[in-house]
Amino acid sequence: MADAAAPRLVARRTFLGWWMAIILTSLTAAGVLPILVYLWPAPPKGQKKGPVSIILDKPITQLNDGEAVKFNAPTNPNTAFIMADGGGDNAAGDLAFGGFAVKNAGKVAVLAINCSHLGCSVALNDAAKTFDCPCHGSRFHLDGTVLNGPAAYPLSHLTWKQGDDPTTIQVDGIVLGF
Amino acid sequence: MAIPHPRDIQLAAVRWLDERYPFTKAIEESMYQRVPNFANAFYYCFGGMVFVIIVLQLVTGILLAIYYVPDARGNPAEAYSSVLFIQNSVYLGWLIRGVHFWGANILIFMVLLHMARVYWTGSYRAPRELNWMVGAIMLLIILGFALTGYLLPWDTKAYFATEVTIKIAGSPPPPQLGAFIKQILQGGPVVGPPTLQIFFTAHVFLFPALIILLMYVHFRFIRAHGISEPM
Repeated sequence: MADAAAPRLVARRTFLGWWMAIILTSLTAAGVLPILVYLWPAPPKGQKKGPVSIILDKPITQLNDGEAVKFNAPTNPNTAFIMADGGGDNAAGDLAFGGFAVKNAGKVAVLAINCSHLGCSVALNDAAKTFDCPCHGSRFHLDGTVLNGPAAYPLSHLTWKQGDDPTTIQVDGIVLGF
Repeated sequence: MAIPHPRDIQLAAVRWLDERYPFTKAIEESMYQRVPNFANAFYYCFGGMVFVIIVLQLVTGILLAIYYVPDARGNPAEAYSSVLFIQNSVYLGWLIRGVHFWGANILIFMVLLHMARVYWTGSYRAPRELNWMVGAIMLLIILGFALTGYLLPWDTKAYFATEVTIKIAGSPPPPQLGAFIKQILQGGPVVGPPTLQIFFTAHVFLFPALIILLMYVHFRFIRAHGISEPM
């Protein structure tokens, strides 16, 4: 026979007290959770991810080495590009509203326009063959790597493929739906 | 170590707060009141149910305001398409809007039951006349809520119902006075975007502020007078 005087790990009242606490907590959660679900933003109608067709000013095949063309995300409907990688202010999955198609050392790359420091739009410096940021003076090589700071990370890449005709490229993006 | 009772955890938190301000005393004074036996009847609960529904309306109303756009310009207007968005796209939007819609209807029903009880038990008599008056003003505000809220979805039913109510509001003589009221409510020569703006402002800013203030006054009066004895 068990010793009746031995103290139990969980007293009867403590056990019931925890049950009451659990029931009250679940009731509160049952009231609050639907509100949190409601607050979770629903995607606007018409929002969808997919390749975005961009017509470049100059076909990629005709780009000279050390040349870049700028392009913007379409605004009708409102569209953005999705970064494939990133560092600093940029991260993979972040959105960009413009980019550059660059030919550098025989290789073509498509870069997002956002500076990796604080996200300003970099501009092509044709004379020096660099991307210069107007905000804090960061400069990047044409392959996206840092020439000088304050930026510490290279520019983000956009995922792309050649379109049906030589002037178009397909860039990964999202139709925003607003 | 034995597992502590949840009450001990609760007490530790309450004690910490109480050492800094006498919360327990303040809450006990405001919450615990002896209720006479004759008030332990279901029909003495109607006022409390009205209060609960009004709180529910405030909560769901704030939630709806997150997605609602009070803009009647364009076709379809943002006001209309944002209500469609709440109803069809927002997660549980149909539920929140449904609670707000049905709460509004049930609220008026409960207010009428509450007033019927107060009339039946003669609780409006001296010295409680002021509280009846405050209650009557709150009834008018709640009807104002219903009237202004009805326009906000900006569908055909809402539009023409408001056309009719504004026409009624603009009917008192002399005609100059009627035209003045109509102009104020409508914000222009026809029911249009300014009307929605005015009704929206009344529905989400003016009336909630007024009703919260008057509810406070109403409850202070009840505390001052005590619950009335039955006839």
